[in-house]
Amino acid sequence: MIGIVLLLAALAATAQQADRQSPNPPPTALPLTTKSPEARHLVEQAMTLDLDQVEQAQAIEILRKAVKIDPDFAMGHEFLTQISLDPAEQVSEQQKAFATRKNASLAEQLLIEWYQDAMDHKLISAIMKMNDVLSQYPHDKWVVWMTTWWLTTQTQYERSIEIYEGSGIADSPGLMNNMGYSYAYMRQFDKAFAQMGKYVAALPNDANPQDSYAEILRMAGRFEQSIEHYRAALAINPDFYSSQFGIADTYSLMGDQVHARREYELGFQKFKLPELHKIQWQTREAITYVREGDYEGANRAFDSIADYAHCASMSQVEADTYRQMAMYQPDPKQALSYLDKADAALGEGKNAMQAAIADESAQVLRARVEIAIKMGNMRMMHSSLAKLTDMSQSTDDRLISVAYHGAEGAALFSEHKYKEAISHLEEDTDNPLSLRLLATVYQKVGNSSDAKRITETLTNFNDPTLEQALVVPAFKKCYQDPSCSGDVKSAALKK
Amino acid sequence: MRKGHLLLLLVWMAGVSCIVQAKQLAVVADPGNATANLSASDLLKIFNAHTRNWPDGKPITVVVRDPSSADMQLVLRKVLNMTSEQAHAFIQEHRGAIVVADSDDAVIHFVSSTRGAIGIIDLYSLTKDVNVMKIDGKLPVEQGYLLRGN
Repeated sequence: MIGIVLLLAALAATAQQADRQSPNPPPTALPLTTKSPEARHLVEQAMTLDLDQVEQAQAIEILRKAVKIDPDFAMGHEFLTQISLDPAEQVSEQQKAFATRKNASLAEQLLIEWYQDAMDHKLISAIMKMNDVLSQYPHDKWVVWMTTWWLTTQTQYERSIEIYEGSGIADSPGLMNNMGYSYAYMRQFDKAFAQMGKYVAALPNDANPQDSYAEILRMAGRFEQSIEHYRAALAINPDFYSSQFGIADTYSLMGDQVHARREYELGFQKFKLPELHKIQWQTREAITYVREGDYEGANRAFDSIADYAHCASMSQVEADTYRQMAMYQPDPKQALSYLDKADAALGEGKNAMQAAIADESAQVLRARVEIAIKMGNMRMMHSSLAKLTDMSQSTDDRLISVAYHGAEGAALFSEHKYKEAISHLEEDTDNPLSLRLLATVYQKVGNSSDAKRITETLTNFNDPTLEQALVVPAFKKCYQDPSCSGDVKSAALKK
Repeated sequence: MRKGHLLLLLVWMAGVSCIVQAKQLAVVADPGNATANLSASDLLKIFNAHTRNWPDGKPITVVVRDPSSADMQLVLRKVLNMTSEQAHAFIQEHRGAIVVADSDDAVIHFVSSTRGAIGIIDLYSLTKDVNVMKIDGKLPVEQGYLLRGN
């Protein structure tokens, strides 16, 4: 067997060797086709600023300039789509990238089509195109960046790390940063810290390495150290607003909501934020009220975000805000009325790609299933689930699929069909709502080791999201309280 | 701060976070293979060497990753109902019909260049050099597909 393994490895190596020795070796860098050398230079400058120096706002401005100089610069439009913080611009730039791709090289066309396929929910075709581009330019920084990033959005961290390590690129701080996060998402914190150490050493005078290190520490539950690194980032660059909000998020996770809100407000006063970032942290601030059980306070904060999103014609943001409001309502009827508002916003569909509207619709249907279960309304549960099943069967969109599996798992759990629920809940392990059920079903079916593993994941789940707020603090409290009992806890405590 | 990005921003969901998802594996065959769909029982018969030829008579060569790998654990559990040790022993007994490769790239290289070869790879390693087979009429991205899970 070892001989066969070596034979196959040797075959692959021979193929690579042949490539290297061919008389006309393929170019190592992805071409950036434009009639304007100035536009190409601007794009290169912008992408370095964005990836390695985290100057996203400046990079966006430069890209806008580049595509103005050459409106037919397909990759210029694609890069702008990738890094823009304006949903309307993202939509229009992707359309321009796709429309102008015939002006570009075959590799650039493939790359643009890969992203278009991903957006059109054609996952298999997208993966093939991604790997095709990668096989042509495995050492090109932009190709490696786009590949590894896209894979992380698909939660394919192992594959992402494999590509990064195979690229031989060791001098890109931006890639060091991204890979540090990939290790952290895989809960391999030793490797994540090592990667972040390299990133800090590569850019000792930049704020982002400290900020990233802080976030990884927070994910690992090392809150005090996390705040120290956020403060170090702000000491390097007082305008680095992400660290200010990182401090606020961390206090919120630590359970100090008053302090957290003070830090959020300080951030809103001090910094002029891009729209989506502002909404992101306003949402986090609204979640502090949920953590306190102050649902009226939460309603006021979320309502204000929804109103703003409505006025700014950001339909998906508006819908998602209402969906989140529905999730914490003690009164299921009230929850349903928020989901109706979410559907109404999606019906308007302003400034959002069709794929994004579909993803959000799936999230809303999933919330309907959860609320129907709370109400004991099996008819509603089945009808919402049937719609979500139809959606899921008609697309290969990962978010829709995950929403379906989470909802199906919850429905089966509510019907005490524990064995059947497992395979569905296992598809949704980024959501504490499903993790909580999964820990219980593993225990119910006598799988103590997986129940313990999931319980540990859940108690160490330190993302400042609404789902975390709804599940994890209560779960941890029970875990630490000797008088609190239950299947999951007993599983977790088993040696 | 992790860089902001298209797919996260277009799909605005403040609640989204990330932990490792369930694995998705693809069954791949050489591009000349006319068989596009296998039933789960066909797949089992091919992988346990009960079926040795394709319907057109071509001999089947199975190429897999090491039985101890995470991907193969899923295959052993969902298709073969074997332990890693049993799988190692089985492969030794069927050398020639079953080949072990040390990476998905090596699986693809072997399958794409060997008539009658069939292999299993991570979905995200897929290239245009091989054909993806449906299992029970389903592609890897479809609901109810066999080779998904942890």
